[in-house]
Amino acid sequence: MTVLLNLLFLMIAATGASVVLIREPRRQVFAIALNGLVLTLLFTALQAPDVALSELAVGTAAVPLLFMIVLSAVRTAEPGQDTQSGEDA
Amino acid sequence: MSPRLRLCVLALAALVLLPCAASAIGALPEFGGRIAAYGAAINAIAPAERHVANMVSAINFDIRGLDTIGEEFMLLAAVTGTVVLLRGSRGEGTTDRAVRLPGRAAPRRSDLVVLACRVAGPLTALFGLYVVLHATVTPGGGFQGGVILSSATLLIYLGDGYAAWRDSIRSHWLDGMEGGGALLFVLCGLAPMLVGGAFLENLLPLGRFRDLFSGGLMLIENLGVAAAVTGGFTQLVLEFMEETREPDQPDDPDGATP
Repeated sequence: MTVLLNLLFLMIAATGASVVLIREPRRQVFAIALNGLVLTLLFTALQAPDVALSELAVGTAAVPLLFMIVLSAVRTAEPGQDTQSGEDA
Repeated sequence: MSPRLRLCVLALAALVLLPCAASAIGALPEFGGRIAAYGAAINAIAPAERHVANMVSAINFDIRGLDTIGEEFMLLAAVTGTVVLLRGSRGEGTTDRAVRLPGRAAPRRSDLVVLACRVAGPLTALFGLYVVLHATVTPGGGFQGGVILSSATLLIYLGDGYAAWRDSIRSHWLDGMEGGGALLFVLCGLAPMLVGGAFLENLLPLGRFRDLFSGGLMLIENLGVAAAVTGGFTQLVLEFMEETREPDQPDDPDGATP
């Protein structure tokens, strides 16, 4: 159990740091989702299934999704490209 | 404020606060230690007096139900605030039609993605309903189940596109679910007062321990939370999506729209 917990702590430190260190917003969203997933595992390991379920639903699904939508809102065209002719998906 | 002054303020604050923080951290029970006083009390009371197997639900909906009403209205206020901000330029004129942003390519989904979403969507919705209904028996409850239900509708968007998603949900229904859920919770609090009980007093039959219908009033409160969370989260996503698209018709040139 201690080994598992320490492993999870390391993973949380790694994914948390990656959220800060990754500078590209779209990749950052996936880093946040991954961090939420590891936190979910930690809460499960600490026998808090209720909190784990909340973290999974909010931290891994809802929040990254909102970020994705917002990013798609601010990036409708590449910089320097005309908004009307932009084909950026 | 110059950077130097800022550093001085930070140093001053750290000088005062760091010893406090250190002593507080030092006094914490060690990691994994048992802080059993409250937990043991709940474990002793809840199954006997509320016939509920999920202690977290017993705390949320019964023992500290007033707290949950506060959280419910925090969610309502947050969603309302976000919607008001996002609807700024569109106003009340919502449309049930999916609006497209000109110039943005809509990538075709592969058949596999469509199939996966059509299979996973109903299953996710079913799981969400399960989590909502079993609030008093297994981990989960209205909040978790509500978020799962709302992400189940989003699988329609992922698989069949924005227009199909807008066809399957209605903005006004979501408003009704969000507000109605919070209202239902408050009514659950007020109803016992009609028959002389206290606010949120659990007067309904409590049912059998470990049964789906256990917990009495908690079940109804839980449904209220589920409706509010499902409506609120879906509405939030919908408003963000609409914000990324062009308004239905061009703004009035005379400035009639603010």
